[in-house]
Amino acid sequence: MDNFLEVSNLSKAFPGFQLQNISFYLPKGYIMGLIGPNGSGKTTTIKLILNMLKRDGGEIKIMGLDNISDEKTVKASLGVVFDSNYLCEEWTVTQAEAAVSVFYKNWDKKKFSELIRRFHIAPEKKVKELSKGMQMKLMVACAFSYDAKLLILDEPTSGLDPVSRDELLKILSEYIEDGEHSVLFSTHITADLERAADYITYISYGKLFFTGNKDEFVDMFRIVKGGRNELTLDLSEKLIGIREFSTGFEALIKSEDIKMFSHLDVEPTTIDDIVVFTNQEGDHYE
Amino acid sequence: MKLIISNVSGIPIYEQIKQQVKSAILSGELQEEEALPSLRTLAKDLKISVLTVTRAYTELEQEGFVKNVQGRGCFVMGRGSELIREQLICKVESNLSEAINAAQIADLSLQELHHLLDILWEEKKNG
Amino acid sequence: MNDILKATRLDLALIKPYMKNICFTVAIPVAFAAINRSLITGVSFAMCFIAMTAGYTFSVSEKSGMDRLYGILPVSKTHLVLGRYLYTCSMGLLAFLFSMIVHPIVLKALGTAVWPADICLAAILGIFMFTLYTVFQLPGYYKFGSINGRIFMYIPIVGFLAILLFVSKLNLTSHPAIAALVGNPITAIIATLLVCMIAYLLSITVSIKIIRSKEV
Repeated sequence: MDNFLEVSNLSKAFPGFQLQNISFYLPKGYIMGLIGPNGSGKTTTIKLILNMLKRDGGEIKIMGLDNISDEKTVKASLGVVFDSNYLCEEWTVTQAEAAVSVFYKNWDKKKFSELIRRFHIAPEKKVKELSKGMQMKLMVACAFSYDAKLLILDEPTSGLDPVSRDELLKILSEYIEDGEHSVLFSTHITADLERAADYITYISYGKLFFTGNKDEFVDMFRIVKGGRNELTLDLSEKLIGIREFSTGFEALIKSEDIKMFSHLDVEPTTIDDIVVFTNQEGDHYE
Repeated sequence: MKLIISNVSGIPIYEQIKQQVKSAILSGELQEEEALPSLRTLAKDLKISVLTVTRAYTELEQEGFVKNVQGRGCFVMGRGSELIREQLICKVESNLSEAINAAQIADLSLQELHHLLDILWEEKKNG
Repeated sequence: MNDILKATRLDLALIKPYMKNICFTVAIPVAFAAINRSLITGVSFAMCFIAMTAGYTFSVSEKSGMDRLYGILPVSKTHLVLGRYLYTCSMGLLAFLFSMIVHPIVLKALGTAVWPADICLAAILGIFMFTLYTVFQLPGYYKFGSINGRIFMYIPIVGFLAILLFVSKLNLTSHPAIAALVGNPITAIIATLLVCMIAYLLSITVSIKIIRSKEV
């Protein structure tokens, strides 16, 4: 059971949108970033993993178990953080713990109170009185209190300030330190993943664009910059995406084509560059 | 041992770790048989990917600077500092031969080249 | 079974902040009973009012986006539905017991005689009406959500008015059917409970079917 999450050939059709043959796996002890622009199918994928949507085809295994036939067992060791609070707004933090904890056999009350103290969450406060960052951390505290082995985060950092985002990354780094926990982190703020993610799964327009080692992913591409007249026809055929402006151009190329561009400015890419250049209107890279 | 990561240097993070570990070995800050920080702890502390650190450590091992003991961690090899010295001497040789090439094109004599080296050496020494 | 109780507990936790309102709706019919000098009126109103609060759990959970919490808890959807029915029926039972104890005491204090036939009829009517009001409401909320499903909340009111009309047109004790029931209260109560149980079974089946095919 080296893979905590295995998704194979997952598909789901909606009117106007299709998730097609998504496959990826997340080994135990690592962080995977699930990336793609809004509407690319990240949340759909997560909801299919959680069986909140019914899949049309494919297979999902969590810690070796099917996510539907073993739903209860699977969910007992699964922690989830959504982009916004899922607890009753009128509850105090203490009441929220009381309501949720009964569902988990191994809920650790001591750990929960330690965590909320560490996160500076006042136990007597109502959920709705907490800031967005605090609500996110409260969901994290819940997941950690029953020692969830796989933590799934769906856009947890959207609408958070840089301090909270950094805190979350620190929490996640600590969480996987022992090698016994894994994280699936969906986000369109790729700066969050630039350093901490081990793996990347990139979905674009409902299709799998890439899945694998993050460093390799970033290394697959380069940014090339030059003047407009330096862009010859045979060079422009090699471009994956381009941004032209009055004094020059910036483009994304595959690292294997680097020799053809050696007379121009070639720089390493960021995940952000890759997502932006591969999602330009009317120019779908296959 | 000091290990810091720059986000703007353009050098890949695994390469930065390798370079810093190597210079720590050469300066004697890391002694023979001394353990490198644990892989996962270092990833946590620097908030970087575990796989990135794994790559740095694996390459250091392949190059013969450290050895990986299953379940115990990474340890500095005895020959580590020697190796680095060899590598550095290689680098000096290749850079010097490049300088000689340039000097020949510019029609500099060996004496003049020596003189230039002396000046640069002094300048570097005096900061 | 344990999972159903956990789900019921979760529902109780949901309505905890609104418990005062719910107690209020159960207390008000005491006044109706006193004004009308009628146990049947009081109990009917109490059961109608408590049935109208059945949508609270849906409204509260929808307001906080708790569908996602239900999606991640290690408990099956069937058990969540059963838990909610158990919660709804428990609230009904509490309101029923409260009304059946307090109303006769109040009426007696006011000098109105309460006959065993009244108690029997009030009990049957109360249980039957509560069932009628909830078996349509709950699947409605599951299907349409707490806002669009609110139309089902008015079923109790319509049903209540219809029954009042129906009851007032009959000369209660003299009608042969009622007389037969009053004459044999045990059969009457068993028959009522049986009808209610079948109604709940159907309602639960429909709700589970709805929730299983629902995607959030």
